[in-house]
Amino acid sequence: MTRNLEAALLAGAAALTAFGVALVEFARGGTADAQSGLTFLTFALAFGLVHIAIRRFAPQATSALLPPVALVAAFGFIEVYRLDQQKASLQRWWLVIGAVAAVIVLAWTGRKGVGVLRRYRNVLFLSGVLLLLMPLLPDLGVIRGKEVNGSRLWIEVQLGFTGLSFQPAELAKLAFVGFLAAYLADRQPALTGARRRIGFVSIPEPRQLLPLLLIWVGSLGVLVSQRDLGASLLLFSVFVGLIYSATGQSGYLSGGLGLMAAGGFVAWQLFDHVQRRVTAWLDPFSDFAGAGYQVGQGVFALGTGSLAGSGPGQGRPDLIPQAITDFIFAAVGEEFGFAGSVAVLCGYALIVAAGFGIALSSRDRYRKLLATGLTLTLGIQTFLIIGGVLRVVPLTGITLPFMSYGGSSLVGNFILIALLARISHEEAT
Amino acid sequence: MNRPTRRLAVALFVAFGMLLGAVTWYQVLAVDRYRNDPRNTRTALSESGKERGVIVTRDGVVLARSDPNPQEPTSYDRKYPEGEVFAPVVGYTSLLAGSVGVERTFADELRSRRDFTISDLIAAALGGDLRPRSVQVSIDPTLQRKAYELLAGQRGAVVALDPSTGEILAYVSAPSYDPNRLTAAGAVEARQQLLDDPLTPLIDRAGNSLYAPGSTFKTIVAAAAIESGFASPETEFPDVSEFPLPGSTATISNFGDRLCLDGNSVTLQIAFVRSCNTVFADLAIQLGAQPVGATAGAFGFDRPFDLPWTTAESTFPEASLRNDDAALGQSGIGERDVRATPLQMAVVAAAIANQGEAMRPYVVRQIFNADGVTERVFDPVVEGRALSPAAAAVMTDLMERVVTNGTGGRASVPGVRVAGKTGTAQGTGGAPEAWFIGFAPVDNPSIAIAVLVEDGGGSGEDGTGGSVAAPIAGELIRLWLAR
Repeated sequence: MTRNLEAALLAGAAALTAFGVALVEFARGGTADAQSGLTFLTFALAFGLVHIAIRRFAPQATSALLPPVALVAAFGFIEVYRLDQQKASLQRWWLVIGAVAAVIVLAWTGRKGVGVLRRYRNVLFLSGVLLLLMPLLPDLGVIRGKEVNGSRLWIEVQLGFTGLSFQPAELAKLAFVGFLAAYLADRQPALTGARRRIGFVSIPEPRQLLPLLLIWVGSLGVLVSQRDLGASLLLFSVFVGLIYSATGQSGYLSGGLGLMAAGGFVAWQLFDHVQRRVTAWLDPFSDFAGAGYQVGQGVFALGTGSLAGSGPGQGRPDLIPQAITDFIFAAVGEEFGFAGSVAVLCGYALIVAAGFGIALSSRDRYRKLLATGLTLTLGIQTFLIIGGVLRVVPLTGITLPFMSYGGSSLVGNFILIALLARISHEEAT
Repeated sequence: MNRPTRRLAVALFVAFGMLLGAVTWYQVLAVDRYRNDPRNTRTALSESGKERGVIVTRDGVVLARSDPNPQEPTSYDRKYPEGEVFAPVVGYTSLLAGSVGVERTFADELRSRRDFTISDLIAAALGGDLRPRSVQVSIDPTLQRKAYELLAGQRGAVVALDPSTGEILAYVSAPSYDPNRLTAAGAVEARQQLLDDPLTPLIDRAGNSLYAPGSTFKTIVAAAAIESGFASPETEFPDVSEFPLPGSTATISNFGDRLCLDGNSVTLQIAFVRSCNTVFADLAIQLGAQPVGATAGAFGFDRPFDLPWTTAESTFPEASLRNDDAALGQSGIGERDVRATPLQMAVVAAAIANQGEAMRPYVVRQIFNADGVTERVFDPVVEGRALSPAAAAVMTDLMERVVTNGTGGRASVPGVRVAGKTGTAQGTGGAPEAWFIGFAPVDNPSIAIAVLVEDGGGSGEDGTGGSVAAPIAGELIRLWLAR
């Protein structure tokens, strides 16, 4: 029954997206045309595929997961369409590809169970590292690393007639979560066991702390080599959250936060792109023409949007640099107003709530950690980028899951949702 | 191990709560701060290219209209067919140069509401009209064009009012600028060029520039004396060629350092008609700062007018003159720290013409919808009583004599009784500023006017109100009454 309600909600999201696209066309002086129809079909196809795959491979999964995903994807797509129609048609393909990836993951884990991933722990770790390093690749003809806006976090695959850009960090984060969940599930007694006292502080055996330090160094390495503040912060905070979740020892949390602060301070001292971010965060209007321009434009967009927004296609989110990716939330805020912003925030809150619900009701240790890690990944990533737009935290350039333009992000997050759905199913049976 | 996970969930929801708080700040609490920030170009951008209503004069001459852009079917170009003549009134609205004038103050009426915001869609569903409104201004195009022509090559201003309503018939500032240049390509450069122009064509000299009113201010001093009963036109004053300012070594002398009459005594009437500084310095000091200030205030000094754009505030610094008779004496002849806009001095003339009742000056008469149906009419508003009818009648008589036998002779119009007052104020740049204020016809005034020409109209020290400004006023009055 609720599965049918889920289907109805997904159809509603598809209709909402198509309606939004029609409004954008209308605002341009055109009429609702093939674009809205195509958008409806794409959304119906993509979410329909995932929905059917869940019915087939994870029938007991919660039905609270997919509808909010479709809701935020709807808002995101309308703005992507409004900002860049060409990219919107690519985004439509990526939606379908992401959905197919989710179907494949559901089918695979459906046959073997999510626990199969635990066996591939080290493979996941290695592939995560490789994915992270890929953007550093020199030009190898078919494949090469690429720098965009000062951050080297892209690879470009040359496919004869066209080049396909991909951000491997979006998949690397999933690989690392998969690895960490398995590692922590296997090592739990050691991490909570032997402790050593240094003065007043009791810490685990230094040997057990090694992974924490390794990941810290690794995150900093990502930051230094690729200038990717977002990915490095996300990786590290998910790791700290997960290790705390596994051990229940708040020492990991405070230690992790301390390391994060130290790393952040060193980065702020060493790199002027980090300094610019901090300046733009504290007072974007002190250097509006320079470092603060993007954040300032985002704030102007939100203020101008006010309660009801300008209406799709009626505002000027195109004034915000990177509106289509990092600042998609500001674009929604400008054109859909406070109402739209709150709807989006509620959508993410629902996804995160569903994710934590799955984690908390899991009996199996590995699945619990995996669900926690996946939910943390999505939740922290959402917080970091929306918080960056809203000046709650310094801006880190990462995508907003399901809303930003970008194939790797969509594919990665569809896989994330598929894994959560599968865990949910396995724990309910 | 659910407890740490639950704590993490709580932490993440607290973080999301912070996002909700921040978004509430930007989109609910601090909207005005960010929406109206001058660096936020969104409002200007949203208006640009949209259809706007027309601005027309009372007799239908189009001053601003939106033409469909031939390249982009949904976009409109704003055109100002009358160009620079009407620029100080109509203003312009431009993405790159901002907006001023009626275009700015009536932007909300002039804009099209066909932009599908939720509130507008609701309004449309309830039967609201989304088409832009049009604005009719009270300017008489013939008078406006003629006034601009008469100021050609000068820096100056003309303001003409209907004394009985306060409607603005002419509002001219010269030199002016072509607003079409500020809406087309190259607007930023054009604006910068205008800003750099030493003749300051972007300055609204009619309502937003302050000048020493010179002897035109004597109408206010005389009115204060007559209204309070302190003096009548027959009251005698000592006739001296130099009036020593109390507590000071400075003196006040008449134009050309002459006596006013014969060196014995002179009536207020003759002093007014001949514009004798010695008598008015004396009179202002005898009256005191307070009554002069009160009368100036009753005529509209010390507060801005709302045309509806805000004009500069003419000032009579009464408080600082209370204990400074020397300064008061100089202020009594419209010098020192007294400052007035041509608009304000036109209001002075209009109030005297309207039997002492000052009408609030306004430029927009009505707003009508796209079908031409009037939606809103702006009725005349009484600004206040400046003088009693009796005092106004006495002032009218004095001012008529200025034109018939005094300094304002060149404002006379054959067959018309014209009243007025000249002024020649010490300009800041050496040469004086030439003033004339007046109204006509005396028995049933239909026009009140103020003319200001900076820098003596180019005639150097010889450029007086009587020789430079009065002829312009006379020509415009003649034109108006012959219409």
